[in-house]
Amino acid sequence: MSLRNTRLLFLLCLPLLLVACSDGPDTRGQKIYRPSLGGAPTSLDPVQSATVYANHVVVNVYDTLYAYKYLKRPYELKPNLAEGMPEVSEDGLTYIIRIQPDVHFIDDPAFPDGKGREVTAEDFVYSMKRHFDPKSRSQGNWLWAGKIRGMEEWKKAGADYAQEVEGLLALDRYTVQIRLTRPFPQLVHTLAQGFSAIVPHEAVDYYGREFSVHPVGSGPFRLQTFDSVRAVLVRNSGFRREPISLEFEGYDEAVHGKYGIAEIEGRIPPLVDRLEIHFIKESLSRWNSFTKGDEIQYATIPKELLDEVLAKKQPEVKLKPAYARRYFMSSGLENGFVHTDFNMKDPLIGYNEDKEREKRNHALRCAIRYAWDWAERNRTFYNDMGFVFPGIIPPVVPEYDPHASREALEHNPDKGRRLLEENGWTPENLPTLTLGGVASVDSRQMFEQFRGWLLRIGYPKEKINFDAYASFGDYNRAVKQAKIMIIGMGWGLDYPDAENTLQLFYGPNGSPGSNASNFNDPEYNRLYEKSSVMQPSLERTQIFRRMNEIVLDSCVTISGLSRKNIFLWHKDVVAFPDQSIVGGFYFRYVDVKEADR
Amino acid sequence: MEMLQYALRKFITGIPLIIGVTLISFLLMVYFGPDKTYELIGKNATEEQIQEIRHQLGYDRPFVTRYIEYLKELATFDFGYSDSTGERVSSILERTIPISLALILPGFVLGNLLGIALALVAAYYRGHWLDKLIMGGSVIGMSISFLIVIIAFQIIFSSNYGLGWFPVRGWNVYDFWDYLRYVTVPTLATIFVALGYNTRFYRAVIVEEMGRDHVRTAKAFGTPPGELLFKHVLKNAMIPIITRIMFSIPLVVVSGSLLIESYFGIPGVGKVTYDAITTGDQPILKAVVGLTAVLFVLVLILNDIFYKLVDPRVSLK
Repeated sequence: MSLRNTRLLFLLCLPLLLVACSDGPDTRGQKIYRPSLGGAPTSLDPVQSATVYANHVVVNVYDTLYAYKYLKRPYELKPNLAEGMPEVSEDGLTYIIRIQPDVHFIDDPAFPDGKGREVTAEDFVYSMKRHFDPKSRSQGNWLWAGKIRGMEEWKKAGADYAQEVEGLLALDRYTVQIRLTRPFPQLVHTLAQGFSAIVPHEAVDYYGREFSVHPVGSGPFRLQTFDSVRAVLVRNSGFRREPISLEFEGYDEAVHGKYGIAEIEGRIPPLVDRLEIHFIKESLSRWNSFTKGDEIQYATIPKELLDEVLAKKQPEVKLKPAYARRYFMSSGLENGFVHTDFNMKDPLIGYNEDKEREKRNHALRCAIRYAWDWAERNRTFYNDMGFVFPGIIPPVVPEYDPHASREALEHNPDKGRRLLEENGWTPENLPTLTLGGVASVDSRQMFEQFRGWLLRIGYPKEKINFDAYASFGDYNRAVKQAKIMIIGMGWGLDYPDAENTLQLFYGPNGSPGSNASNFNDPEYNRLYEKSSVMQPSLERTQIFRRMNEIVLDSCVTISGLSRKNIFLWHKDVVAFPDQSIVGGFYFRYVDVKEADR
Repeated sequence: MEMLQYALRKFITGIPLIIGVTLISFLLMVYFGPDKTYELIGKNATEEQIQEIRHQLGYDRPFVTRYIEYLKELATFDFGYSDSTGERVSSILERTIPISLALILPGFVLGNLLGIALALVAAYYRGHWLDKLIMGGSVIGMSISFLIVIIAFQIIFSSNYGLGWFPVRGWNVYDFWDYLRYVTVPTLATIFVALGYNTRFYRAVIVEEMGRDHVRTAKAFGTPPGELLFKHVLKNAMIPIITRIMFSIPLVVVSGSLLIESYFGIPGVGKVTYDAITTGDQPILKAVVGLTAVLFVLVLILNDIFYKLVDPRVSLK
């Protein structure tokens, strides 16, 4: 071969040299589950696990003290690394939690001699302190901010891990004591989130900034590879042996029987050897991969294909026979809702020094709400499958009131027009409205629909504008700086308790906090402060419902709609997927009938 | 020696270009790019936390200080850590650039080789039905959106609705067979689109060359078509062809192909770059922009050297 030909051959083979550097993992005989998610996590550090996607990985490589029962609905907490539910003092201020002994972190170079050591109460204390160390860039510290005694002082004193925090102590090797500044009934829920996952300080020190992509935990799986399109997790062979009790997990033959879940009774999680979690934003590509048969095994239906795949959408979702033969399906309302808020800091539509104008602004907001047509919104953008409810207590939480007045959902342009006239609003003196949103076809279309509705109450077209932001970060900045007049929002529940949505309208949570509307009503604030320290009870539910009425009466939001989730999975997979509250916890219970060949 | 001196001289004159490109792009990143702070804060952040994050990201420092740091990073090829994942930028690029290269190179090479071959045929049969057929095909390739081509090829070759011969998504490449399975459909899609643009461009260059006196002389001399095209036409048309190919290389190496990588689930540098643009991950953007600028300067130098190799009349002085 001439030199010239040799060079040519080298050039042609270059790509192969670049990729063919190692042998692939031998997965023959292994059980592999390949779920897909509609987005990718960026960081796998528990303190930054703010997204559903990050949580799916985090709760599988790390342990949390608590988790949600796999099948029980409404959701119910259970001990995970904790030995039992916490012992809570009479005043609700002190929690004692015992963790299981003899649980080890995975082997990792971060540990001396590379052997994973035992998980102790100190590790939990360390993991929680990280949320208040500015260097950690925590996205979850708001859950506990101002609630754990001495934590703020610890942060102010320089976040020195050698210093104790009064309200967060390891009483002994396996006992944690949490002392609160005020009762926090949702505390145990927060200890079931990826944010509270337990990390070893050795790994944080060893990997530094790159700890976010080198998780070292004690969960059922360990991370093998992670990039922008996939995370591969393999079974943690040292994971504690806890046989599955389906009765304890909330098994209901009528609901779960058809999925073959009964066969996992008594088995020891995790049931698969390997998890390949695919992150796929492109819905059609995801669908093609799902229907291929030998690629991803769990997906949702692209909205373009709903009519093709579904035989029935309402009230019950049903697959067409051709799909029902090949796939299992479950459906349910999302654990959250979409709503549109008015920015009360904007004197043109919200609070105003001129009380008369403030009153007219109230009428203006209510008139806009009368113009809003939820049925049309649901039909156009949510395939008529969303569930519309009045206010901010969504149907998935126990405090939801199915009998609440639906007046706030009424679409009545004539009433809206009359309200404007009665309050002295004319096309000339109406303020220019600006709806904010992330630049996308959907948000633009939603705006056009909104503008169309407003024309029906006599709003001049040129006085309704759309403020498009290039990215979510930009939009979020404008929201946090209270620069947007009308704000399209979505909220995913952090835990199944209405307190999580009611805090969205609590005055002190105003911008840059979670209260994007900057609603600040003294009675609402008082009721929130009273109820936020109460354990679930009829009295608390009544207070929550009263708060919901205040929000509706103030016309501060146009709310809400919970979208319907549809999950599809292959019939050789034994699972009951859930994407939000149970989230990634379900992976350990998934079984695959056939091993890789 | 002459060539080395030329390369060094050219590189030094390229430094203002690198500074210009990096300065303008850094200006755009800082003043018009997404603010990463609001991606990193929690749901219920306080003003104090926002300021802490801004400080950690360096947003509160003067622009000049930050730009000088950027130049230092570029000189040392150490861009620190991604603001999104926390991973070292150099590790990310080391992992993703080879994948993008392995993905794009076959389509790039074949797209250009086939483009030249078809352009030669079209130019030789100028005005003939064969020319019209090739040009018609090129217009189709240019007219259809790359996204549609990708989706259509994925359905035809990979999905269950079509032939199902190749994987729909993924990049589990450990041997030559794996490589062929994963790279074939993206390559076909790349070639389909690239052929349109390449063939039209190369045909125009070759048609111009075919009208020259030396080609007419060779034709009159009775030179066979193959020899005429390759020895007398193609060789003399190489300068614009080299220019086009060389200037595509930095984009192929650093930017990858976002659409291909997204739709085929391939963890290359294109997807990483796109995510960095949309989320304002400045360390990654600085690396990609800086490296692209440096590569452009290197390509400029190589380009001139190649000119000299294919045309001895070109002087490097």
